[in-house]
Amino acid sequence: MMDVGRHPNIKLLTNSKVEAIKGYVGNFDVKVLKKTRYVDETQCTACGDCAEVCPVVVPDAYQQGLSSRKAIYIPFPQAVPSASLIDMESCLGTNPIACGKCADKCDKKCIDYDAKDETIEFKVGTVIVATGMDVFDPVILEEYGYTKHENVVTSMEFERLLSAGGPSDGHFIRPTDRQRPKTVGFVQCVGSRCEKIGKPYCSNICCMNTIKDTLLLKDHYPDIQAKVFYIDIRAFGKGFEDLFKRSKEAGVQYIRGIPGEITEDPKSRNLKVMVEDTTSNKIEEHEFDMMVLSVGVTPRLDMPEVQQLLTLSKTPDGFFMEAHPKLKPVDAPSTGIYFAGCAEAPKDVKDSVTQASAAAARAETLLSAGKVKLEAITSTLDTALCRYCATCSRVCPYGAFTVDPKKKTISYIDALCKGCGTCAAECRFGALTMKHFTDEQIVTQIDAHLAEDPGEKVIVFACNWCSYAGADTCGGARLQYPPNQRLIRTMCSGRVDEKFVLHAFRKGAPMVVVSGCHYVDCHYIDANRWTQKRVEKLWDKFEKWGIRPERLLLEWISAAEGQRFQKTMQDIEELRKKVTKEEIEQTVKILTEEEEKDKAKAKKKQADSPTKKKS
Amino acid sequence: MPETEEKDFKCLRCSAEFKLPYTKGVMQERTCPKCGSNSVRLDRKKEKGAPAGEKK
Repeated sequence: MMDVGRHPNIKLLTNSKVEAIKGYVGNFDVKVLKKTRYVDETQCTACGDCAEVCPVVVPDAYQQGLSSRKAIYIPFPQAVPSASLIDMESCLGTNPIACGKCADKCDKKCIDYDAKDETIEFKVGTVIVATGMDVFDPVILEEYGYTKHENVVTSMEFERLLSAGGPSDGHFIRPTDRQRPKTVGFVQCVGSRCEKIGKPYCSNICCMNTIKDTLLLKDHYPDIQAKVFYIDIRAFGKGFEDLFKRSKEAGVQYIRGIPGEITEDPKSRNLKVMVEDTTSNKIEEHEFDMMVLSVGVTPRLDMPEVQQLLTLSKTPDGFFMEAHPKLKPVDAPSTGIYFAGCAEAPKDVKDSVTQASAAAARAETLLSAGKVKLEAITSTLDTALCRYCATCSRVCPYGAFTVDPKKKTISYIDALCKGCGTCAAECRFGALTMKHFTDEQIVTQIDAHLAEDPGEKVIVFACNWCSYAGADTCGGARLQYPPNQRLIRTMCSGRVDEKFVLHAFRKGAPMVVVSGCHYVDCHYIDANRWTQKRVEKLWDKFEKWGIRPERLLLEWISAAEGQRFQKTMQDIEELRKKVTKEEIEQTVKILTEEEEKDKAKAKKKQADSPTKKKS
Repeated sequence: MPETEEKDFKCLRCSAEFKLPYTKGVMQERTCPKCGSNSVRLDRKKEKGAPAGEKK
């Protein structure tokens, strides 16, 4: 931290909030609200005289509320910059008559109660998101009695209690009687791997954190008995298994089973747990002086704000989604934005440092090159055809379009486009064309596939990254699927325009399949949601027109799901066989009539518009 | 926050009928518990109380 603070090329903006980020790779305009500290950080020597005279006492968040701080304080011992700040919500001193003691005491006259927040604007080429995480609050798990039983603490509180710089100055005590506990129990997976509370993921760090805590405890107080209740110990990192062994050798008992409830003996304030040891299948009762809940990691509460600022997407567990889990684990889907640390997923210090180094290197590579290679497959906009309906700006996962329907203006940043093609599929006026995947190119493919024996064929639209790759996996594994299925590749299923599906049916296709990535795998943030919406609309239309919706299927198939692809295609072939020639003819008739109606409507509208203008 | 409720769905691939959580305005990946297809459609006919399979 000190090195970062002193580095000539790093400008550190602490106590600040990013209010807006606009632009794209190499050209981000950033607006930051630098909140005032009410203390001149360039003059403050962090002597602490001001805090000594401050009469206001509030809980210290750094010490997990186990001790207090003053209204003027240094957040934690190694804080950078090493200067005090005033918590103005608690301070009495905005009115010097009310207090003003810190200002009187400060020899360097650093304190200014009238200091104002400052807005700073600057340009950056790349952005690294390292917004961290929150810790799970176990209050909602009533069975553990956190806050009800004072001797139940979280792993974070335990760390502070054990720390030499902690609230008890390194003397390990339990909260109720301030005596050193003789027995300590640890409960793992509190707020992790729990479907019930919507936290099905493993928090990654808790097992090793507990092992480290038990070693610390045994190192300081070898006579304390420690027991760990766990589902399974995940010690998969370098040297981690060794640490686990050391903990067991130090006398820590590991019991495979999670207590159902923690109860308190009102007299001794000791804690009792009943647990089934799944290695012996026996119900055991244990009593402890103190219990530690090994709490998991959760996404930060303010993540939606950051998500909106940078048009990021999230995985179902609520952390930010990387561009690709294997090939681009540091990159955000938008070029020039990278992740470091727990913003992307729960990770320990080592993994966070590794990712941060990778993110810095990725950003530096881009900046040192001085120019950016853009996607070749992007949309092109014909402003002459645009009606400023703003559909494109609504569906674009990257915010490449800015439309003002009132002023009739549209701006499109090519550098932001990643080429999913959702805009081209949604634009009703033909103003957007997808390079290399134009309407004409796709329609021509449909025509070619259905030129001979259309009733025998199935048109399958497959996205480049998942479904098409899934077909490849299927083929690579020598899994047979019916040969009459004709795949048409698009970059994203979002590119599959309603008119492609209707065209295929008009050309006599008995079945059409639209396939893409599973929701969490979508390579274009959330473009495949638009695919689903479109298909659902088509099902409704089909029903209205008297066409069986069952003839249009939607399937999410990942690149690894070769078998799923085979099974899906085999099932579809069975369904195809049930579609009669008469049904196909009837569909062609209905859809041709509907097309004629649409054309007539469009013609009428076109004919009406100049008349209206004249009148 | 829109409310989540159990609604009737129908699989267009295997015709299975089942209930799934549904939140209005929230897009979700839905999978047929029988065949694994994602061609899962909200069964509006059942919702309206009409017998399944009845034509409009």
